Amino acid sequence: MTPPTIGIGQAVLALLAAIGFGAGLWRLIHLFRLMRIGRADPERWGRLPQRIVDELVLYLAQRKLFKRPYSIRGIAHALIFWGFLVIVAATTELLVSGISGGWHLPGATSGAFAWMLDALSLLVLVSIAIASARRLLFAPPHMHVAGQGYAILALIAVLIVALFAMEAGGVAAGRVEPGAAVPPIGAALGPLVPASVALTLFAVGFWGHLGSTLFFAAWLPRTKHLHIVTTLPNVFFRSPRPRGALRPIEGLEQQETFGAATLRDLSWKQHLDGYTCTECGRCSDNCPALATGKPLDPQKIVLDLRDLLLKEGDALLHDPKATGTAPAHQLATKPDELWACTTCAACVEQCPVTIEHIDKIVDMRRYLTMQESAAPPEAQRAMTNIERAGNPWGEAASTRGEWAQGLGVPTLAEKPDAEYLYFVGCAASFDRRNQRVAKALATILQAAKISFAILATEETCNGDPARRMGNEYLWQLQAQQNIETFGRYNVRKIIASCPHCFNTIANEYPQLGGAYEVVHALQLVEDLISEKKIALGPSSTGAAETVAYHDPCYLGRHNGIYEDPRAVLDAIDGVTRMEIAPHHRERGFCCGAGGGRMWMEEKVGQRVNHRRVEQILAAGDARGERPAKVASGCPFCLIMLDEGVGAKGIQEELKPVDVLELVASRVKG
Amino acid sequence: MARFLVCIKQVPDSTTRVKVAPDGRSILTDGVTWSISPYDEYAIELALEHKDQAPDTIVSVITVGGARTKDALRQALAMGCDDATLVAGEGLGPLGIASALKSSVEELKPDLVLCGKQASDDDQGFVGPALAEALGWPHLAQITKLASAASGFEFWKETEGGHEVWTASGAAVLTVQKSAKEPRYPSLPGIMKAKKKEIPERSAADVGDPVKIEIVKLEPPAARGGGKILKDGDTKAFAQQLATLLRDEAKVL
Repeated sequence: MTPPTIGIGQAVLALLAAIGFGAGLWRLIHLFRLMRIGRADPERWGRLPQRIVDELVLYLAQRKLFKRPYSIRGIAHALIFWGFLVIVAATTELLVSGISGGWHLPGATSGAFAWMLDALSLLVLVSIAIASARRLLFAPPHMHVAGQGYAILALIAVLIVALFAMEAGGVAAGRVEPGAAVPPIGAALGPLVPASVALTLFAVGFWGHLGSTLFFAAWLPRTKHLHIVTTLPNVFFRSPRPRGALRPIEGLEQQETFGAATLRDLSWKQHLDGYTCTECGRCSDNCPALATGKPLDPQKIVLDLRDLLLKEGDALLHDPKATGTAPAHQLATKPDELWACTTCAACVEQCPVTIEHIDKIVDMRRYLTMQESAAPPEAQRAMTNIERAGNPWGEAASTRGEWAQGLGVPTLAEKPDAEYLYFVGCAASFDRRNQRVAKALATILQAAKISFAILATEETCNGDPARRMGNEYLWQLQAQQNIETFGRYNVRKIIASCPHCFNTIANEYPQLGGAYEVVHALQLVEDLISEKKIALGPSSTGAAETVAYHDPCYLGRHNGIYEDPRAVLDAIDGVTRMEIAPHHRERGFCCGAGGGRMWMEEKVGQRVNHRRVEQILAAGDARGERPAKVASGCPFCLIMLDEGVGAKGIQEELKPVDVLELVASRVKG
Repeated sequence: MARFLVCIKQVPDSTTRVKVAPDGRSILTDGVTWSISPYDEYAIELALEHKDQAPDTIVSVITVGGARTKDALRQALAMGCDDATLVAGEGLGPLGIASALKSSVEELKPDLVLCGKQASDDDQGFVGPALAEALGWPHLAQITKLASAASGFEFWKETEGGHEVWTASGAAVLTVQKSAKEPRYPSLPGIMKAKKKEIPERSAADVGDPVKIEIVKLEPPAARGGGKILKDGDTKAFAQQLATLLRDEAKVL
């Protein structure tokens, strides 16, 4: 269509565009400079093909938006997003033709573009209705619903309605140029427009659309809708680390401060995360700490850091020596918030824009633990125990191998050519309940004639609890000690029955040069069953039983191992596997022990493990039959579930077990 | 400005399973993790808490022993003590240790000397009072808290079911009881600084050990027997069986 700007209008439009984009750009540059207060972050570069795939899948295809239980609103969001991509093209075209006085972008006058634009614009209008209704009528519990959200939705609606008005008026006033396609909505509405107002409607629509869009450009970087701009780089620069691996601190002993002492010690990407948070609250919806009344709210972790940057960033920018408020002390409640985290990654899993919550929490814990020595006393005790006894419980290190006495399990010193090292871990070495799991695995491996050995007293804590409590130094000491021992025996393949041992050895030891082929016991057992290297007999009583499967966070969300434990359960005759829906698989609910929480007191709110037991019972009730057992693949889940059923007095009705125990009881030797 | 001197002892860590050596009079030191005796850690914590409040406080730490005991001193430095002294001397009895410490105390002139109330290896609780006697200073036992007072210091002394508040206008030796505040975990800057600190050594060569004490024999406690689970019968039968066992087997009734 010929724009209504010929003459002075062209100049006015150019000026408005300069003001709108200028104001937006001004703010963006300021935000960019504040972001650069953060430290350098080399891991954000390189790996270009993966980053491009991420953009296509996570950004363009909006994949994380459709996760359970957000699929409907996810579709609404995706429609707004895809519609916007086309509307932005249309707006650009209007600006170009308006300022140039009738020159069109290539393809802009085609029928295909006209149809696409009108169809998607209509869908966006529908989606805006859905989004408004959701905020008004059934707001999600942790979404920040504020006036700003409605204003943005209204603005989008206005600019689309204006577009349609322009099309209708333009068609009625005969502004469609020869050879150009007639936009379908304009064609439908045009005949309804009286000739006397057609030109006015066209002009009002044109200026209304561009005016509201330019206002949007200026306002957007000052709102949470900044994510429209920042999601693109935020997805691009997401961490290439395996999810279960924390960021290593290199040259630890040469550092002057440890962890996030100031905003400068968080990486620029962590500040970009803050800009990108859309306050949707999906992280908080899924946080086990928040759900059970703890002071932690993962969304608040991200937003508080952003607010601190916006509040103190200018001062830090102007004075290179200024330190500002330590992020871990931004609020009096902040340390309690940080210590409540189980690092279960439910937040990270759900975030549609790939914000990395755990890294921020751990960086702040690092400051509290290493710099200030301000970890909770029970955490300090656990760390002292790891230092002195090589395990967080403070059991005598010399008794580490005693569980294996009389089982014919050799040590690597006795059998240096063993194919696998079974890294037993502290829980299965010292905790009586979990010693039965270690024995079960030994039984299975022996039945399958797998060549394996243990380290017994030469094994020491893998360091995971220390690292997640913020004690990077102790983690490095522990890891180096184990890596040295592995090296002495030329260990190449490692089996772990504890997902925390598995995760830290598989994903974190490579950071210190220790690369091994690491499997979790249930992965190996799944292979043994499917390759028919072990045969499972019927149950001794012949009775069928329902077994619920509880996903350990460090198997499931952190390492994507959802299927193998389920396949093992399914292979056991007479066992009916039950899902703890809807809190299963990637929405599995933490047992409460991760992130070093196993050794910290839990006095606020409901205990996480008690909530978990309630979920198991509720899932059973929903399918009309409560499970007889709940099986897991993690020693800490087992301890927590045992405590949970004990506290509820239902230890006879619902027995926590490890999947390995079920297999061992059936394996034919 | 106050100066505190904390006397510590290095002992086998409480997580270590101690084994008796073949001579039957000493313990095997192979594979033993050594750490600061727990009550001494509480003494350090008490001194450091005062330093948290009054940063110009100087907290010194001292031990008598061999080269290995430097690790304990470094641990104390990492926790936040300002300086450490090793008095070289092995095989000394408690009176010998007290007199080895005496000359250092006279030289360092602390306002207060703090010791744990007893060491976790021999549980004698001897060195603190003996040092007070050797110095001619007053001694206060079972201290759980200390604070500056108008003249000198004020101490909380644990008693059965409560506490007494004492004051000292001059120098004193305190033996410290476990208190609510757990000994602090060293910060990493503390550990790094402690690694670089010089630990001066003094000789205790001229120290006489007036009373010779000798361990005659060490024996591990007998292994605990297995428990018994009553399986057959109802509550009444259980009660009868239990009463019989308590009377005839355990002989406690």
